[in-house]
Amino acid sequence: MEPILQVENLTKQYPDFKLDHVSFSIPKGAIMGLIGENGAGKSTTINAILDLIKKDEGVVKFWGQELSSDPRNIKENIGVVFDGVNFYETLTPAKIGRISAAAYKQWDDTTYDNYLKKLQLPPRKEIKTFSRGMKMKLSIAVALSHKPKLLILDEATGGLDPVMRDDMLDLFLDFVQDENHSILMSSHISTDLEKVADYITFIHKGKALFCKEKDELRYQYGIIRCKTDQFDAIDRSEILAYRKRDYQWDVLVADKEKARRKYKASVVDDATIDDILLLYVKGDQIK
Amino acid sequence: MKSLILKDLYNIGHNAKSMIFILLVLAFALIPSSGVEGYIIMSGILCSMMIITTFSFDDQSKWLKYAMVMPVTKKDIVISKFIVLLIFSAIGAVTGLVIGAIGGTIAHKGIFSSVNNMLSLLFTGAVSLVISEIAGSMSIPLLFKFGAEKARMLMLVSCLIPASIFFGVYKLFTLLGVSFTDQIIFILLCCSPFLALVWNFLMYKISYALFARKELL
Repeated sequence: MEPILQVENLTKQYPDFKLDHVSFSIPKGAIMGLIGENGAGKSTTINAILDLIKKDEGVVKFWGQELSSDPRNIKENIGVVFDGVNFYETLTPAKIGRISAAAYKQWDDTTYDNYLKKLQLPPRKEIKTFSRGMKMKLSIAVALSHKPKLLILDEATGGLDPVMRDDMLDLFLDFVQDENHSILMSSHISTDLEKVADYITFIHKGKALFCKEKDELRYQYGIIRCKTDQFDAIDRSEILAYRKRDYQWDVLVADKEKARRKYKASVVDDATIDDILLLYVKGDQIK
Repeated sequence: MKSLILKDLYNIGHNAKSMIFILLVLAFALIPSSGVEGYIIMSGILCSMMIITTFSFDDQSKWLKYAMVMPVTKKDIVISKFIVLLIFSAIGAVTGLVIGAIGGTIAHKGIFSSVNNMLSLLFTGAVSLVISEIAGSMSIPLLFKFGAEKARMLMLVSCLIPASIFFGVYKLFTLLGVSFTDQIIFILLCCSPFLALVWNFLMYKISYALFARKELL
């Protein structure tokens, strides 16, 4: 089945940072979480995907087509939410609706009004009076009201309280109920992605370290907690990342059941996405 | 394109009251001393400078990045700014004419004393539109290149550069022995809308070349 979004060898060189041959693809009906620490390259990846910055290398295809081949029609089917609302603060949701209606052929006023009601956004109030959560809800209402097939969210849940984040995540899950819809969602809040994502692409220092199904990470990855002599006995080819703590070593492995059988003297814990991220970012890898 | 223009008009609509207030204050200050003509031209230029404010609002809300994920092109964005400038300049010229005519009547400037005076006033309105279009369009490539932060300086530059060019051309013709009679000046003023068109086209080309290369972070 043709993926909704296919990214191959995406590369962008800056003087002090390089997005280095990032590749992943999003199948229909899936949520792809783009995870990594601040400055890892998540936003650069999204900017390059959307042609907001010029890529030095690589190919990005939406429904098998490059964005430059038919930008108007392809963009009709993409809803984007950045970190905040991109309309000037004196505008109201009603005016933003009229501006967006003039931009999108597929814009649906009824859908927009329903979202405003559902998300309790006053249509005639200036957005400068809105809380951050309300602004994010408004951005999502705008992004969903032109009936996109792909939603791209760049840190859209950052800075929101847990209740608000949960409301947002429910909206995203509703959106992918349609099997032709997909979401690319960047976040450094791994718990959000743990809740909704089907796939996780982990970006670290500009490189995609892995792109895997979330369940594979949750159910297969594990962390061996061991002493130095036990650490020395671990097969180096099994170590994805490790970190020396005060009295123990934390070792990330891709097959926790195998590790439990093989290293019976050590404790092997389940790994959360946060644990995996921390070990990759703060730990070391076997060279 | 329509959405881009609508966005600028909604954004600037918030500033309309303060702009009318400024124009009224200027009417009191300028019309009795400098006459209605100077006021109409000042009104056009002031309103055309609101294009800088639209860029400032865009910068604050990171609009250009967002606009590029909408189904519009960079070309649309640049063209829309020139259309918005034309709208602002026209509003400035018309508002200047209306307030100027009222102010001139109150200040006994004899605006409605003859058909010639009335025609001259209308002609000044057209000249105001041309001047504000030329001055305003100069600022657009600079705004695309440098952003609205340097707006105050750009306002000065955008007025000084075309003024210097026209003054230079005038001096050159004078040196070549061409004398500027009233008739020649009138013909030149009649040709000025075409000059404004050519100037705007040139500024559009420069703006697009600059914006096409710009990365939106």
